[in-house]
Amino acid sequence: MRRPLIGMTSYAQQVKYNSNDLVAGMLPMTYVRAVHAVGGRAVLITPDDPGADVLESLDGIVFCGGNDIDPAYWGAERHPETEIDKERDESEILLMRAALEADLPLLGVCRGMQVMAVVGGGSLHQHLPDLVGHDRHRAAAGTDPLAADASAYGRHDLIIEPGSIAHGLLGSHATVNSFHHQAVDDPGSFIATGWCPDDQVIEIIEDPSHTYALGVQWHPERTNDLRVFAALVEAAAKRSGLQPQAFAA
Amino acid sequence: MRPIIGITTYVEAATWGVWRDLPTTLIPHDYTAAVTQAGGRPVLIPPHDDTDVLEMLDGLVLAGGPDVSPELYGAEPGPLTVTRPDRDRAEMLLARRALDMDVPVLGVCRGMQLLVVAADGSLHQHLPDVLGHEKHRPAPGVYGEHDASFVPGSRIAGLMGDDLAIRCFHHQGVADAGKLTVTGRAEDGLAEAVEDPGHRFVLGVQWHPEVVRDERLFGALVTAAKASPTARQ
Repeated sequence: MRRPLIGMTSYAQQVKYNSNDLVAGMLPMTYVRAVHAVGGRAVLITPDDPGADVLESLDGIVFCGGNDIDPAYWGAERHPETEIDKERDESEILLMRAALEADLPLLGVCRGMQVMAVVGGGSLHQHLPDLVGHDRHRAAAGTDPLAADASAYGRHDLIIEPGSIAHGLLGSHATVNSFHHQAVDDPGSFIATGWCPDDQVIEIIEDPSHTYALGVQWHPERTNDLRVFAALVEAAAKRSGLQPQAFAA
Repeated sequence: MRPIIGITTYVEAATWGVWRDLPTTLIPHDYTAAVTQAGGRPVLIPPHDDTDVLEMLDGLVLAGGPDVSPELYGAEPGPLTVTRPDRDRAEMLLARRALDMDVPVLGVCRGMQLLVVAADGSLHQHLPDVLGHEKHRPAPGVYGEHDASFVPGSRIAGLMGDDLAIRCFHHQGVADAGKLTVTGRAEDGLAEAVEDPGHRFVLGVQWHPEVVRDERLFGALVTAAKASPTARQ
């Protein structure tokens, strides 16, 4: 039985590798490894080809991290710290609408969660330090957020709404890594089910009327806790009539 | 819906935005653009031992990249040979399964060499040592431009028509095409195109048709993919 095929939204931009300096479609391997570790098969959907027809071939989709979403989508002026990726916005908003319409199991990570909220008719905070007065959602105290790597990510606690899908997966409390400067303000058609207890920033959104539609503000792909990925692959397998592979994370 | 065309990818330490030397799976935009322009829907296929992904694809591009591990054709690595064994293992599995399933395959540069190795052929590990010139890779970032000659009646001869110009960038080349048929050669005799007439569409080219979005080649792949038994219309 084949592995569930999981589309991953990705970057298309200028990149340097070895002696090359060119425009490429790409994604950090952490996302790919996370999907493979829980029994899925990752393929990348690059934003340089807008079109939602690819969804017909997929069993599930991950909307991955990246730049900020253009605030014009929820009718706001652009904050000076907001850095948008127009091509990716257009491609992912098209894919998100179609994925929700088709009830394709989907996971949103960081920017991906924010795309969910915006497509659901909600809105974002454009620069969290303005709102909460600190930068701990982007980097550990005393480190430079723009030089942040995995070890310098911020960390904070998480509380989860009893009875939610997220609670069923993760329980009532967790500690998560954090690397973002925007956040969901209004989750629109989604329900907020997880928060940072220090500042009430929304960390999880979900829609229980869908097979699996969960968004997380942190980066589970950079941790050993891949439960939200495993649940995606399981939902994808079930929907497509595939036997899920043994959980191998 | 459009036929889905899988493209194999690099895994390299990459630098962009705030990221420095982050392990990243990637493919130059030229490849996705060439597939899109030819009417296919590209998806990128990161290396993995799974080959069942082919059940969901209508066609496959084996993309360019580092040298194929010489161990795969029974040779010791030369001093200038640079390999990515994880990528080799995954792409050899994918290439062999694609041939078994008769999925249409276009091999580009390294992808052509991989097809040759999968067909029990072998490679020259550094062409200047064999040919005595650098015309297939003139300088970093510079494509060697020359005219190729194609075997009349071959698939590639039909696709290329009267425009024989090709753009190369490689330091290895085909020594023995194995079970494949050489259907194109450079002026110095080096194999530039290989085919397998026993399959619906198996074409390898040593040059880089994606750089000019060559619809003759990518269009032929997409056309073959549309006719795939696996195609979900």
